[in-house]
Amino acid sequence: MSVLKTPLSLVAIACAFAPIIVMAEDSSLTNPNISAVLDGYYQTGDRGLDGRGEGFGLGETELAISANIDDLFYGKMTAILAVHDDETEVELEEAFIQTMGLGAGFDIRAGRFLSDVGYLNNQHPHSDAFVDRPGAYRAFMGGHYFDDGVRLTYVAPTELFWTMGVEVFKGNKMRAAEEHEEHEEHDDHSMEEEHAERDYKTIGVYSAFTKLGGDIGVSSSWQLGLSYLRNENGMGFIEEEGGHEPHIEAEDDHSGHNHNAAFTGENTYIADFVFKWAPDGNYKYQHLTLSGEYFRVTDIFSFEEHEHDHDILSTEKSDDYHQGWYVSSVYQFSPNWSAGLRYGEVDTHEAHGDHLDSQKLKETELSLAWHHSHFSTVRLQYTNQKGTNFDGFEDDNIITLQYVMTLGAHGAHQF
Amino acid sequence: MRINSKLIKAAAGFAALVCSSAAHAQLNVFACEPEYASLAKSLAPDADVYSATTAMQDPHQVQARPSLIAKMRQADLVVCAGADLEIGWLPMLQMKASNRKVRSTDEGLFYAAEHTQTLDQLDNVDRSMGDVHAKGNPHLHFDPNKMLEVAEGLSAKLIQLDPQNKTQYETAFTRFSEQWQAKIPQWQAQAETLKGKKVIAYHSSFRYLFQWTGIEQVADLEPKPGLAPTSSHLATLLARAEKGDIMAIIVASYQDERGANWLGERANLPVLTLPMSVGGNEQSTDLISLYDNVLVLLNGVQ
Repeated sequence: MSVLKTPLSLVAIACAFAPIIVMAEDSSLTNPNISAVLDGYYQTGDRGLDGRGEGFGLGETELAISANIDDLFYGKMTAILAVHDDETEVELEEAFIQTMGLGAGFDIRAGRFLSDVGYLNNQHPHSDAFVDRPGAYRAFMGGHYFDDGVRLTYVAPTELFWTMGVEVFKGNKMRAAEEHEEHEEHDDHSMEEEHAERDYKTIGVYSAFTKLGGDIGVSSSWQLGLSYLRNENGMGFIEEEGGHEPHIEAEDDHSGHNHNAAFTGENTYIADFVFKWAPDGNYKYQHLTLSGEYFRVTDIFSFEEHEHDHDILSTEKSDDYHQGWYVSSVYQFSPNWSAGLRYGEVDTHEAHGDHLDSQKLKETELSLAWHHSHFSTVRLQYTNQKGTNFDGFEDDNIITLQYVMTLGAHGAHQF
Repeated sequence: MRINSKLIKAAAGFAALVCSSAAHAQLNVFACEPEYASLAKSLAPDADVYSATTAMQDPHQVQARPSLIAKMRQADLVVCAGADLEIGWLPMLQMKASNRKVRSTDEGLFYAAEHTQTLDQLDNVDRSMGDVHAKGNPHLHFDPNKMLEVAEGLSAKLIQLDPQNKTQYETAFTRFSEQWQAKIPQWQAQAETLKGKKVIAYHSSFRYLFQWTGIEQVADLEPKPGLAPTSSHLATLLARAEKGDIMAIIVASYQDERGANWLGERANLPVLTLPMSVGGNEQSTDLISLYDNVLVLLNGVQ
């Protein structure tokens, strides 16, 4: 119930802010939009990179409220209830305001929201055609990257769609795993502190992205995107000196609902494309969606050589980088049925002692979904995951049966 | 100094160019459906009109695609059916287009359904009823009298946005209104023979057409609004058709004909595909020829 109260009180606050301005004429059921997403599944095995686990389970149960606050601001909040090991966790995934046209094509979004880097990140997971996000997203974006911050976007007044944006985030979720070093003697306090407890920057993530798009004839549409994400706290440090084993905390312990990025680096580059086709551009009966993304995460670790635990003698950046990609093809061949095929790879590095071990995960996924209506989907998915030195995953065949259903107002989908 | 003054002159010249072109710029109209693109073209002949959809596309299911965002970014006026027909894509376009002018119906946003009385408004809407609209049926462009009310509202909106060209818009509206009102009795005469005829149709797409022509839609190919025809539902329709009082099975240009053809073959009924809007077939090039053509086609199956 406390979850229910929070959104309602937020709406109350939103309403309280708008007494002077004439309220929107539309006071029907659809304003504010209140929606819930129910997601449940049964799966025959565990998936790597914080994917869904074996057995019966729930995905993210989502409760969202959104509305135009007045003629300038739009607001939305999304609460996620996730169940892990008999514990229900409530997480606020979105709580943002957005301007609806500042003029000259500019807009600002502030609060907690999904970053607009890449293609899938800004899409709501319940509209995905597969049970889990591609491995690259689970590895580098914590599934989907949302955070507290601000975004400024600009849409150019051109025939070709062209948008640009910059974002600044707190970035806690994207921090490199923390070093856990046993404290020895504390004689030199200033240096000691810096080493014992990493001095993370409070504004951790900056991003910039641009997207271009248009139509090809009446049947096809496309979009290309390029993104750069700077993660100030993304580099891991490996110490090469000392009587004790250099030690990096396990990337994550796979317990609890985790939205932190498993693999980080200072610089992330993303290229994405999406192409959609429907006969005569009529999406009601058949349509095809091809999409793909490539991630490259660089400046992932640096080796520090220390003298007597304190003074850094030298720092050497590793040339290694993480990368991941996927391509996906989804065909809806009737209003009630769609099928998808997706292949993706993730190449990452994990610190082991004073060196990096490379690891690889390959995922091949085949999904078949039945849509009774626009609001209900039942999906059967086959996944083959092949791991090389990857958390013990070697070659697994996994079957998942999942439902995703939406109640209430169904928000408009993005391209 | 020379460079500076040159720069200033160039900047001033550029500013003058931008301002003057803005002053003489055509009104950019973004229409959600082709019927409103056609209406806007009639009422604002000089405007640059773009239709987001064609008569071959289901307006319920449109992608908020990049090209539409780019078009809406530059629009001075957005004209849509309203009554939540575009609820699945228009809000997303508005959010992404960052165009303040077309945010509110007080300014450059126009919903046809707000300028006439829609049919089948519902007090209570439940998803178990299918994809229904509480604000009534939005496919209102097939009622000539309602369309005239919409035209009047749209003309007033054009004048509000572009008062300098008031007389042009008034002239255009008068011309449209005269042509339209001259056509109405003609259409009514053509519809006379259709009165009381029974049809099976797909969705409530032609609700308004049937209402003013007096055609009775006795069954729907959709088991529930928005749901595709199922074999069990088609079987019940076949039983209904065997009563022998049905004139035809009617589908719109963007609707799948397979269910209709299956039923048509078994029940020995003609299947008629009507243009849903302007551009739905070769003959329908504007609103008047759309009405003409639809009535000719309906009279052809009798």
